[in-house]
Amino acid sequence: MSFNTDRVLAIARRQAYVLQRAPQRWFDVVVWPVVDAVLFGAIGVYFGRQQGAAAASAAFLLAGIILFHVVFQAEVSVATGFLEETWSRNLLNLMVTPLSELEYGAGVALFGLVKLAIGVTVVSIVAFALFAFEITSLGLSLIPLVAVLLFVGWSVALVVIGLILRLGQGAEIMTWGFIALLLPLSGIFYPVNALPGVLQPVADVLPTTHVFAAAQEVVRGDPLPWDEVGIAAGGAVVVAILAVWYLTRMLATFRKRGYISRHI
Amino acid sequence: MTESSTPVPRAPVPREPVLQARGLVKEYKRVRAVDGIDLRVDAGERVALLGPNGAGKTTTLLMLLGVITPDAGEIEVVGKHLPRDRSAAMEQVGFAAGYLPLPERLRVEEFLVLFGRLYGIPSPAPAAALALERFGIAELARAMGNELSSGQRTLVGIIKATLHQPRLLVLDEPTASLDPDVARRVRNGLERLCAEEGTALLVTSHNMVEVERLCDRVVFVSGGRVVADGTAAEVATRFGRDDLEGVFLHLADGHVADVVQPEAS
Repeated sequence: MSFNTDRVLAIARRQAYVLQRAPQRWFDVVVWPVVDAVLFGAIGVYFGRQQGAAAASAAFLLAGIILFHVVFQAEVSVATGFLEETWSRNLLNLMVTPLSELEYGAGVALFGLVKLAIGVTVVSIVAFALFAFEITSLGLSLIPLVAVLLFVGWSVALVVIGLILRLGQGAEIMTWGFIALLLPLSGIFYPVNALPGVLQPVADVLPTTHVFAAAQEVVRGDPLPWDEVGIAAGGAVVVAILAVWYLTRMLATFRKRGYISRHI
Repeated sequence: MTESSTPVPRAPVPREPVLQARGLVKEYKRVRAVDGIDLRVDAGERVALLGPNGAGKTTTLLMLLGVITPDAGEIEVVGKHLPRDRSAAMEQVGFAAGYLPLPERLRVEEFLVLFGRLYGIPSPAPAAALALERFGIAELARAMGNELSSGQRTLVGIIKATLHQPRLLVLDEPTASLDPDVARRVRNGLERLCAEEGTALLVTSHNMVEVERLCDRVVFVSGGRVVADGTAAEVATRFGRDDLEGVFLHLADGHVADVVQPEAS
């Protein structure tokens, strides 16, 4: 499969034009982060006051929501980047160029990193300005945690794109739906043992669960639990392999069944 | 772009295939949309793929472009096999369709530069400006895609498809939404491009008069099969009609069985 960086940069620039000219696209990037930071920060402060540990409670929730926005922004930016081509009926135009699937994905992911940086910066600034919580207080521990979440977010996006290729635009709801499933199951704001027993095994196999478990330990002041990070990284690799396999299958089905006719 | 209808002198082009398809078959849910189509287009040749709605034209084009995978058959574009060498093959192919809109959130010049980059043009901005000038629509460079009329959109789509000087230009209903004046300008521009660059043209159209003016050869498909292949005059004679429109209406009425076997091109 070909890989040409000029084509990757061209796709990234095309995505930049979309964000620049479509105010509604800023909702995912700015509005949701602000809403989540205010909501979970305030909940943390309220519960903390009940127990007399306001700052610690808010920090627990805010660290969770900031890290959740890494996986959310990574997934949504790539999935909506692809959706933009279906909404503007540009898919056929792209498919008849030399652009490979890998180049397209890299271009969308590249600009997705910009959107992710904006989104996570917004939620971090709000957390700092309104609740005096500094995400950077987690130190270098953030790097492996963010890396795993980034991979999981991109992998989920590939699955969502596969679903859209297979089922058509009706599946676009999964862009936000899939990631919402991770929210309760990953123990972002609570330990997994707080979940109903039947859901705990599901939570245990999710790489995100281990990322958030590791983050919670760091917020408590403990060192980064590398065993949790290792499990999360291994899980993320498995999820990425499965996602690429699924997308490849769906792309083959898309070409075989002529589903491009849904987009022209 | 010339506005005259004087034929453009054609540079000699070596007769080598830029497109070869053999035994293409495509079935959708037990309906055979394409049933063993063979097609060859040589460098500099202008070929029309004709047929009534549902004949299998667009499915055939999309297979030739690597967008749809055939159930059977082989495709070679500029010497590259599809789907294996799709990316390399598409560097030499341009495609435009009358039904495709321009992405809404791009200016015309941005759209052309984007696709110029995807096709590997080193300096796409000057090439885009020059192409807009040549087609007489330089003033549209800063317009947003959704501000254009359907005719302007089609022109920009054709510019996009020809920006990288492809060896094969594939056009699906390129003049369907154009008024006669713009359609003539497009036709003349295409003639000039094919004559000067040796670009081969494969076009579908329901405008038989346009096809007779523009194309050297017509390939009629019906029921997913090639039922006639030759010059417009040869095909009309073979069906006992005065012109291509007569052939088209004859086929649209379902008279496929009484067709004389197509000759090899």
